[in-house]
Amino acid sequence: MSALGAMGDGAGTATATSPGLARAVPLPRGRRGAELIMLAFAICVVLFAYASVGLGLNGHVPTGLATYGVLFALLMLAAHLAIRKLAPWADPLLLPLAALLNGLGLVMIYRLQEAGRNGNPGNAISTMSASTTTFQLVWSTIGVVAFVAVLLVVREPRMLQRYTYTLGVIGLALVALPALLPSSISAVPGTGAKIQVALGGFSIQPEEFGKLALAVFFAGYLVAKRDVLSLAGRHVLGIALPRARDMGPVLIAWAASLLVLIFESDIGTSALFFGMFLIMLYVATQRTSWLLIGTSLFLAGAFLASKLVSHVGLRFNIWLHPFTYANVFCNTASVHVPCVPSYQLAQGMYGLGFGGILGTGLGHGQPYLTPLVQSDFIITAFGEELGLTGLMALLLIYGLIVERGMRAAVAVRDPFAKLLAGGLSFTIALQVFVIVGGVTQLIPLTGITTPFLSQGGSSLVASWMVIAVLMRISDTARRPAPQPIQDEGMTQVVRGI
Amino acid sequence: MNRALRRVSLACLAMFLLLLVNVNYVQGFEAGKLADYPGNGRTFAQQYQYQRGSIITSDNVPIAASKHVPGIYSFQRYYPEGATYAPVTGYDTPYSKTGIEQAEDKLLAGTDPRLAVRNLIDLVTGKPRKGATVQLTVNSAAQKAAYQALKATGLPGGAVAIDPKTGAILALASYPSFNPNKLATLNGNALNKADQRYLNSPQQPLLNRAINETFPPGSTFKVVTSSAAFSSKYTPDSRFYAPTNLKLPGTTHQLINYDHSPCNDGSNPTGNGTVPLIYAFTVSCNTVFGGLGMKLGGSALRQQANAFGMNQELTIPLKVSASQYPPVSNPDYTAYSAIGQYSDTVTPLQEAMFAAGIANHGTLMRPYLVQKVIAPNLSTLVITKPSELSHTVSPAVAAQVSRMMADVVAQPYGTAHSMVANLGGITVAGKTGTAQNGANNTGLDDAVFTGFAPVANPQIAVGVVVKGGGLGADASAPVAAAIIKAYINYLNSPAKR
Repeated sequence: MSALGAMGDGAGTATATSPGLARAVPLPRGRRGAELIMLAFAICVVLFAYASVGLGLNGHVPTGLATYGVLFALLMLAAHLAIRKLAPWADPLLLPLAALLNGLGLVMIYRLQEAGRNGNPGNAISTMSASTTTFQLVWSTIGVVAFVAVLLVVREPRMLQRYTYTLGVIGLALVALPALLPSSISAVPGTGAKIQVALGGFSIQPEEFGKLALAVFFAGYLVAKRDVLSLAGRHVLGIALPRARDMGPVLIAWAASLLVLIFESDIGTSALFFGMFLIMLYVATQRTSWLLIGTSLFLAGAFLASKLVSHVGLRFNIWLHPFTYANVFCNTASVHVPCVPSYQLAQGMYGLGFGGILGTGLGHGQPYLTPLVQSDFIITAFGEELGLTGLMALLLIYGLIVERGMRAAVAVRDPFAKLLAGGLSFTIALQVFVIVGGVTQLIPLTGITTPFLSQGGSSLVASWMVIAVLMRISDTARRPAPQPIQDEGMTQVVRGI
Repeated sequence: MNRALRRVSLACLAMFLLLLVNVNYVQGFEAGKLADYPGNGRTFAQQYQYQRGSIITSDNVPIAASKHVPGIYSFQRYYPEGATYAPVTGYDTPYSKTGIEQAEDKLLAGTDPRLAVRNLIDLVTGKPRKGATVQLTVNSAAQKAAYQALKATGLPGGAVAIDPKTGAILALASYPSFNPNKLATLNGNALNKADQRYLNSPQQPLLNRAINETFPPGSTFKVVTSSAAFSSKYTPDSRFYAPTNLKLPGTTHQLINYDHSPCNDGSNPTGNGTVPLIYAFTVSCNTVFGGLGMKLGGSALRQQANAFGMNQELTIPLKVSASQYPPVSNPDYTAYSAIGQYSDTVTPLQEAMFAAGIANHGTLMRPYLVQKVIAPNLSTLVITKPSELSHTVSPAVAAQVSRMMADVVAQPYGTAHSMVANLGGITVAGKTGTAQNGANNTGLDDAVFTGFAPVANPQIAVGVVVKGGGLGADASAPVAAAIIKAYINYLNSPAKR
């Protein structure tokens, strides 16, 4: 715990009550007031952005500002009140950051939905309807309800540890479900990926929740086995390999999820799961050899996939030559290669370039030119209309969420909670890196959702649940330890919950 | 585990740094390159993000301007005077431009290198880029009169007026014209509809008849034949054989006067004697000029035609189709070409240049349309200095041709005497033409007129062609009279600068 002092954080003061220190311990504060002020600021930013969309599109403040705006504000205030009751010591920054992202996502989805509709400039996006924003607001409500429910049910992080294997099975089942269902139910139109369960116009992507369940499973399993996993087995080329019998269940879980995901043609999520697993393994064992083994495994897998699965090879080709005519306007005459043109990537890049440093302003760009801009490519819509400035702000918001999560991981005592918070925070960072890096041509594009921003309910609800788990862990970390009150050595009152 | 968590935090930080650096590269440095890709549809709309410069007449009437509109296209082009000036302004659509809009595009758009320093200052001071204003030589009174008079005939035709002293084009009208506002729409469907309608119209409204359609000059070419004659050894008083029908050598064809009328000034009652050239010019005897042409020869006529600007394309800066006087050697064809038939073709601008070459004492000034270009800061960027195009005839010969042209209008027996009634005391020198055309001359005769005014001190030279208008005096001379009267009245009005 000696390293905690270096963090210089309020959370640290709660736990760093080293008996050797003779100084007065400051009373830790929940900082719920600060959270409320920052939340109000986030809501203001969202409402101004919403008004700005209307002014940019047709010169009028949107008529829904009163209803939708007030609904959104009330929703976030409800989340804040729930935190006051359920997790009073939790990190004050996470809720305002999540609210800001969710709100800006709603605003951008509204802006994209309005393009070409109601006399606004642009072409209507055929994959969106006039009620998409309303649906997304309903999903936001469900997300906040799930957020509160997680805080309500999981009163201690350790509670989750009890369900390690149950959640492992549930997680695997959720991930495997779409692969087992017929394509008519599980295929996402226009992408070739089988990742959803669609019934009667209502669809969810179970893997988003599977990700959370598997994170709990990995944390629970690795914490239980970390001493064994840290033991050196055979040494091969100077690297200490673990014993095969310790690795069995984890390797099976990993291989199964990987196979299922490749079977579902969803490389992005596959990479995400593997990254999450690898990092948690590293944190649990602190053995760099795991990272080397895992990374080699991943690179070998990626190389093999690019050679064996034409779909993957094409992604590499597109990444390297996104503006080549043959790629942009995919030649459907070639029957051997599935047609995954770079048209979408090129349009997204054009949008980013068009936005430049300061952006066109909300409602003034043409993000609707990019296919499916409301889901995987929503970050390019922000880049186009809010510019480099807005995009950097969004990335910093994500960065702050990740670092606050990491801070909770460092601060909390319970190893299980530590591992879970670290794994979830890293997963957010990796997800943002994969999708933002993909649409900005930094890495080959693999379609995954942008947390909180993309259209779609499952990702949004799952993201809120992740924030709830992180807040529960930070609440545990920052909660003041039962503090002895010295009253002339006569009585000792124990405060606590 | 904290050491590993801290390392993972750093890895997350590195991922976000990579993303930040990459978006800075894409949106900050690569934006220009992205904008230049041919498939980039967003760049398309960018040309409407800045205020394009106006086009104004010499008397400061705006004829093309950009107004601010809501939506992705910030500015829309509009043409306050519509069809009247359409042959001059042309149109400005997202796909193509014509007229001055095309010829002066870079200055109007503000991308011309001569505006680069100005643009840099604007960039630093944060002012939006603005295009330069193009001031034309066109006079609003003359232009309006020209278009209205052409429209009144109800027939296709063109009219051009130039200042003979400078070559400045005072009017350039074509009928039927088009409404450039219909093509300046930013609605793709409306644009396509208007475009198809104009393109498929049998009336060819997009054709600029003033400079891009050629017609047989008919008897107006006698100005050229006379100029060549006086430049050799003849004078207006030289007498020439004036038969009613002229037998052409080597063929069975006979050259006849209009309506088979005899050429009789009182001294040639039998149709077998001679008349002075000035009489033959005034009443437009074909037989006299046919004979004169054969005496002068095809090459002398061609040389004289070239001196008036025929057989060459001009850029004013609009592209002007070349008026043709092809080489001719057969005596019979020379006779026809001397009266403006055979393969002679001229634009209405060429008709105005015939008169201007005489009016300016034998010096033909180069016709031009742009008077000056004014930068957004009101400094003058470009100013056109009048320059000579060619020497048509000696001042003495010009005086002789001028005397004959004056008689055409002033003498009661002159072919254009009827226009005196419309002139309000302004003296005009001119020549009518009634040009046969079509296969075997079965088409309706084109009415042609060339002339200048006032005779003593020429201020304006006009050329008019009305397709199928019949007698030059009936259809074209009234158009010329309307233009001359409007312009001379403008010069004499107190409103003039």
